[in-house]
Amino acid sequence: MNEENIVEIKDLRKSFDKGKVTALNGIDLEIKKGEFVSITGPSGSGKSTLLNMIGALDRADEGFINVSGYDLTLKNDLSEFRSREIGFIFQLHNLIPNLSVVENVEIPLFERNLSGKEMRERALKLLEYMGLSDKVNRKPTELSGGERQRVAIARALANEPSIILADEPTGSLDSKNGQLILEHLRELHEKEKVTLIMVTHDMNVASLANRTIEVLDGRIKT
Amino acid sequence: MSFIGLIVKNPFRNKTRSILAVIGIAIGIATIVALGIVTDGLKSSTEDTLKAGGSDFTVMESNISDMLFSSIDEDYVDKIMETDGVEDAVGVLTAVQPIGDNPYFIIIGIDPAKLYLSEMEVTSGSAFSSEDAKELVMGKVAAENLNKTVGDSLTLNNTDYKIVGIYQTGNLQQDGGVFMSLDNAQEIQGEEGKVTMIYVKIEKDANVEQITQSIEDKYGNDLTTVASLEDLQSVDQGLSVIDTASWAISLLAIVIGGVGVINTMIMSVYERTREIGVLKAVGWKNRRILSMILGESVVLTLFAGVVGIVMGVVAIQVILAMGMSGIIEPVYSLDVFLRGFLVALIVGLVGGFYPAYRASNLPPTEALRYE
Repeated sequence: MNEENIVEIKDLRKSFDKGKVTALNGIDLEIKKGEFVSITGPSGSGKSTLLNMIGALDRADEGFINVSGYDLTLKNDLSEFRSREIGFIFQLHNLIPNLSVVENVEIPLFERNLSGKEMRERALKLLEYMGLSDKVNRKPTELSGGERQRVAIARALANEPSIILADEPTGSLDSKNGQLILEHLRELHEKEKVTLIMVTHDMNVASLANRTIEVLDGRIKT
Repeated sequence: MSFIGLIVKNPFRNKTRSILAVIGIAIGIATIVALGIVTDGLKSSTEDTLKAGGSDFTVMESNISDMLFSSIDEDYVDKIMETDGVEDAVGVLTAVQPIGDNPYFIIIGIDPAKLYLSEMEVTSGSAFSSEDAKELVMGKVAAENLNKTVGDSLTLNNTDYKIVGIYQTGNLQQDGGVFMSLDNAQEIQGEEGKVTMIYVKIEKDANVEQITQSIEDKYGNDLTTVASLEDLQSVDQGLSVIDTASWAISLLAIVIGGVGVINTMIMSVYERTREIGVLKAVGWKNRRILSMILGESVVLTLFAGVVGIVMGVVAIQVILAMGMSGIIEPVYSLDVFLRGFLVALIVGLVGGFYPAYRASNLPPTEALRYE
């Protein structure tokens, strides 16, 4: 594997419903460390499946996939890989409603053997970074959509991942809040040098990335 | 926030559902606790009765299903007295008569000369003195319940008996009844020449086991000896039946409570499917998710355990306040409360395991797609 690459994928294939639905049909992809890549394509093209494969949320049927030096085709428990290397941002924030904002950000840290004090300090620092210092004890239901998504970004950053995977991060937001989230993500990429892979169907959003990949019928369109 | 803190917070997200589940489980636990308190009281009273007056053991009829069904010839009292090592023995007739609100009013007939073997303490008046006089001494609890005092009379089997004294033994069964001469008791019951049991006191330094063995060897066909509550349970099926019923109710509570917990936790897991997907996405291991759901289930049932124990104790107090204080002697032992908690814990673990296993094995992408 090329040391500059953080993601290397060769001939990746994945189908669902006992082979009746082909989601990925031979994907070849390389992403360099610190790159900001957007993945676009129509609904059902396989872009979210590809993102799930990179984040080890799903396993490939065939092919090779290596992320941050982890061979994801090996059949071992990949929860530690997800905990150490990946930060997910979903279209819906998916925050836990009965926990406060700061407690939601602490959730990924349970697997990191940190003391309660260390967890709290790290979560508060991230919320400050996201401009939410005055909302740390609020419940998610007391926040606006944009604020909730910023909490979700703080949660994604909690474990200091090497890759942020964002699946339609502005999809459920109005344009103003969507723009704010994109600025946060771009700042994150530029300042923290984190690798950012974002799935979107919005070409304006995709154009913010260094490189745009289009997925069509389970293949990368060249 | 600690992991334990998270586990304690989660079960009460849907308060109505959780409270209903807690009530369902608590009723089972309350039944177990209340029954345990009554059973322990009954055992304690029975043990006191067996050890009345510091007698060392009791002789009763062999092959009976309940202590009260024992009926042996009075002649055996003299035969037992002749046994080596026996210092004294007295035949006692115990019967039950419905008096006032109490359907289980205890009548104990005993030789007035050997009243010391009953360990009763006459607190007012005096003990009855002859076999023939229509006299009795009444237990403190019975006197309070029937509003009787020294000088009053009590009608038993159409005959008036003068209350010559009030006594106290500390044993609810005995304090809730009367002592009278053996002859009078036999007449009331129509059991002339019969006694229910024989209290036996042995000589100092004599060996109880040797003496009981000797009696069993000689009269084993008709008699059995009871030196402890364990001995009694082997001959008296009444206590065994109560014990078995208590365990059966515990088992039933586990099954019913377990089904309730499975239902509550499965609903909770369904509702939180996406959340479980997120937990997996942020790197939680399957075993942490399993521990969380199982922990939530146990928190719910232990809370139900506390509520159930309180409900059980309150239920006993209500029953006592309803005029059953002369019948039930509650014993609040740590053992009963621990049993309540143990059942709650088992219900939590059994009921929570399947939902927890299910949650921990959810494929993350499927969980995240769940609407």
